[in-house]
Amino acid sequence: MRRLLTAVIFMLLCIAHVVILEKASESRNTLPVVNDTEEMVLPSSVLKISSGEFDSLVSDYLFLKMLVFAGEKTDERGSVIMTDQEWRLFYQTLEASSDLDPYFVDPYFIGNAFLTWDGNMIKEANALLEKGSRHRDWDWSLPFFLGFNHFFFLDDNEKAGTYMMEAARRPGASPSLAGLASKLAFKANRVETSIAFLEEIRNSTEDESLRKLYETRIEALRAILVLEQAVDVYRKKYTKRPLEIGDLITAKIIAEIPVDPYGGRFYIDKSGSIKTTSEKELLPHRR
Amino acid sequence: MIVLWPIAAITFKEGIRDRALYGITLFALSLLGFSLLLSNMAPRDVGKVAVDMALSTISFAGLLLVLFVGINLMAKDLDKRTIYSVLSRPVSRSEYVVGKFFGLCLLIVAVVVFLSIFALLSILMLKLSYPNYFEKFAWSLVILAITFEGAMLILLSAISFFFASLTSTSFVTLVLTVISYLIGNSIRDVKALVESPAAAGIQISPVMVKTVQAAYYLFPNLSLFDVKIQAAHGLPIPLNYILLLLLYFVVYSSLVITLAALIFRRKEFP
Repeated sequence: MRRLLTAVIFMLLCIAHVVILEKASESRNTLPVVNDTEEMVLPSSVLKISSGEFDSLVSDYLFLKMLVFAGEKTDERGSVIMTDQEWRLFYQTLEASSDLDPYFVDPYFIGNAFLTWDGNMIKEANALLEKGSRHRDWDWSLPFFLGFNHFFFLDDNEKAGTYMMEAARRPGASPSLAGLASKLAFKANRVETSIAFLEEIRNSTEDESLRKLYETRIEALRAILVLEQAVDVYRKKYTKRPLEIGDLITAKIIAEIPVDPYGGRFYIDKSGSIKTTSEKELLPHRR
Repeated sequence: MIVLWPIAAITFKEGIRDRALYGITLFALSLLGFSLLLSNMAPRDVGKVAVDMALSTISFAGLLLVLFVGINLMAKDLDKRTIYSVLSRPVSRSEYVVGKFFGLCLLIVAVVVFLSIFALLSILMLKLSYPNYFEKFAWSLVILAITFEGAMLILLSAISFFFASLTSTSFVTLVLTVISYLIGNSIRDVKALVESPAAAGIQISPVMVKTVQAAYYLFPNLSLFDVKIQAAHGLPIPLNYILLLLLYFVVYSSLVITLAALIFRRKEFP
């Protein structure tokens, strides 16, 4: 009898436990809480002192946390979609991670890859790269990315050329970097220079999904280059510029209009340059 | 020296038999296993994360060893009154303290060497799977970092001996040792901060600056022994630094152990 009573009480307690836990966590959700993304990043000096001898481990942790965070915010196309606040948190955390261990290369790489194309925070990405380039003075890739950002996003060929020369001087740099630097100096065709840059980036990227992103960008730019060259031929032939892209086919300069990998349609704008309706994908997102 | 050996040997055996040691080892080994997973996540610097994890695991396990096994080894003799039977033999009190300390040093060295084998194995496994991601890696630096880590742990246990001779309960020793560890790891950064407060945009009173400067010389400077970042990135460490640090280690631990022996000589047992 007593055994039965114990069993019954035990069962009741088990059921009560499950029910109450459910209720408690439900009502917990109604508590006023601080939004996850509003959490602040501690200043680097405080982090440095409080993490003691485990500072480089904390640096790894902060970086991996942001990597997962960005992963959660990635859409099926591979672009990261975040609110302004989330982007700030992303940048500040990577900054703290790289303050704790300024030689750690991954925060610079991921920060640069996402902050530029998706976050439109070129200044912040460059600040990260500058810090990395200062500490990792043997690494050619960081000044290389600085050069690319200055050329592609900031339209500053002169500075881009300086960074590229710096990159070319560092050990292990590909010989083509010097060529890129001179392309910048002589203000060569912008699309062509972009392709050369992106090919260099693709070749040094090991991550498959990032490589694919760059492949698509190169493909789109190559299509634009083909059309731009066709427009030049048209101009020489007819001494006027084509009004629409179909003119290039009727003039038999190209057989077909290349496909935009981003699903857009190419057109010729009023100034006579090639544009695409999917420009948003090709260029950094304007927020 | 001959008198010291039996005490050191007994202390070592006592430490090896401690159940807590198995727990610490198991914990450290599972952390090293976890490191294999975690390092995979780094897109490029796999080697850096692998070295970080391996070295931090050794540090953390060593810390637990000093705090929860080392301090008990000293306290047990007092708690269980076995100290009377030791001191009734022809062993002086200072010899007892120094012998115990050497026994604990042996234990720390043994545990660090044992864990290092697995730590190095975990790095090796990752290095074989991702040879391209270990660009500036050097085994010698990793081994140097482990050696420094061991020296830091011995220094910390010397401090714990000093506190153990001052106080009569192991709990107080534990708390004081933990505080010294925290201060010892941050004092260099804190000193730099209070000496140039303008850089951080804060105001510090002159008394505070003097206090921090005093603490800087009083507490062991444990952060000097932390070369994990250099080891993880293959950055060179000059020979002159290594020698100076070893000298600092010998001088500071001798100083603290001498003090501990002096105090222990005058101590009255309950």
